Amino acid sequence: MTKHQKKLIVLSIAFAAAFGIVPQVNAMHIMEGYLPLGFCIGWGVICVPFLLSGFFSIQKKLKANRKNITLLAMAGAFVFVISSLKIPSVTGSCSHMTGTGLGAILFGPSAVSILGIIVLIFQAILLAHGGLTTLGANTFSMAIAGPFVSYGIFVLLKKLKVNRRVSVFLAAMLGDLFTYCVTSVQLALAYPSSEGGVAASAVKFLGIFAPTQLPLAIIEGFLTVIIMITLENYAQKELKDTKYLEEA
Amino acid sequence: MEGQKHRHKHRHHSHGVQTMDFYAYQSGLRQWNGSYKVLSALLILILCIGLNDIWVSLTVIVTVGMLNVIGNRVPFRQYVELMKIPIAFLVLGCVAIAFGISTKPVGEYRIYLKWFYFYMTKADIWKAIELFFKALGAVGAMYFMALSTPVGELINVLRKAHVPKLIVELMNMIYRFIFILTDVQGRMKRSAVSRLGYIDFKTSCGSFGKIAGNLFILSLKKADTYYDAMISRGYDGEIRFLEEEKKVTFVQIAGMAAYLIALVLIWYIGR
Repeated sequence: MTKHQKKLIVLSIAFAAAFGIVPQVNAMHIMEGYLPLGFCIGWGVICVPFLLSGFFSIQKKLKANRKNITLLAMAGAFVFVISSLKIPSVTGSCSHMTGTGLGAILFGPSAVSILGIIVLIFQAILLAHGGLTTLGANTFSMAIAGPFVSYGIFVLLKKLKVNRRVSVFLAAMLGDLFTYCVTSVQLALAYPSSEGGVAASAVKFLGIFAPTQLPLAIIEGFLTVIIMITLENYAQKELKDTKYLEEA
Repeated sequence: MEGQKHRHKHRHHSHGVQTMDFYAYQSGLRQWNGSYKVLSALLILILCIGLNDIWVSLTVIVTVGMLNVIGNRVPFRQYVELMKIPIAFLVLGCVAIAFGISTKPVGEYRIYLKWFYFYMTKADIWKAIELFFKALGAVGAMYFMALSTPVGELINVLRKAHVPKLIVELMNMIYRFIFILTDVQGRMKRSAVSRLGYIDFKTSCGSFGKIAGNLFILSLKKADTYYDAMISRGYDGEIRFLEEEKKVTFVQIAGMAAYLIALVLIWYIGR
């Protein structure tokens, strides 16, 4: 074997190992300790205006009707439980939904920002998905960017009178994909590559997480559609009741 | 004790919502002051990430690991299982840092793939290795907090830190509702499994979606019921929790200070 061949084999083994040991695919939570401190604080600060607006909108809803408190809490718990469940997968690896697209469609994006940060804290300390120092970055990608895109697409397609199921599918899937892109950019900003900087690094992170995240986004889209069909069939009244939660 | 043992055996190797919660309640450090534990964990976390030194990271992995296994009474094998949870992200993330793609032949190690080069530089590999251990150390520090402090106590620490009352209350409720909904979902799933609802991929997707939809309807109904139950017990917009007073001892503070100083010293010597 030439030296070149040896290198090739070692590299291919490294790649196979990287893709072989993927026992658990989370929806792109940046793990604890992965980001330098500056970025942890920076992303946290960026989240503040969104969280404040979410906080005030929730406060307003509670002033309108105190009863909304248990409803909101149940919504948060629902998003958490949905995201903690193993979803069916073809490869046998164990993956999870984000559930934030569904949450945004049902409850509106600003409520989801506050519920999202609470859910992320619980995911970190109960499930070890994500972390405390990376909370800001994760909140931005999963509880703010993703839900806002999901909700925007859902509302837009509703106005364009696209089939409801198609729009739910697209909203959930694209929200998920957007979360994955934002996370990749967050990682790239923290770790630009030595050749080509942030852009090259973003391509790397997008590429390496694509095999796990792309199927996940499509499955999440399908599952969200099935959930919405179930709700349309059995929960017409309840869906109307949550309507007032929809307004941001 | 017998019951606890059984429960313990049952929980082994599971990654359910209950696992970490269960260990937090049976931790040997349960009687330590909550704020002290949270603050110590955060300081270790910040030092581990901020100092960014492989020896500090390794020290944290080992010492906090011992604290978790001995102090928090998490069996060693279970602790290893817990440390494995973020491994997929960690491995993929570090591979992404170690490798580079370029159209020009750069880096110490590279292979040519017709259109571009895959390359690695020694600096990048070292960066990836350092990051690997730093992140594991940080995860350990987070586990120290999560496995020693039950969520109720943690929320109380947040309340003392002047997190808005509304958020604290929502957190308290969400925490309780999570377990109620998980329980309901578990029963729904079991009945679906026993009716061959998870026999192949397509059926599984259908069952999963239907269960989630039903869970949503049920959660709305429960939210209604719980509000009525709370009102009938005199809920006036605030839930008050009584808490045991746990004093911080001098030894604990001195111990933690010594540990943190030791970490800084390791960093200083290794520089």
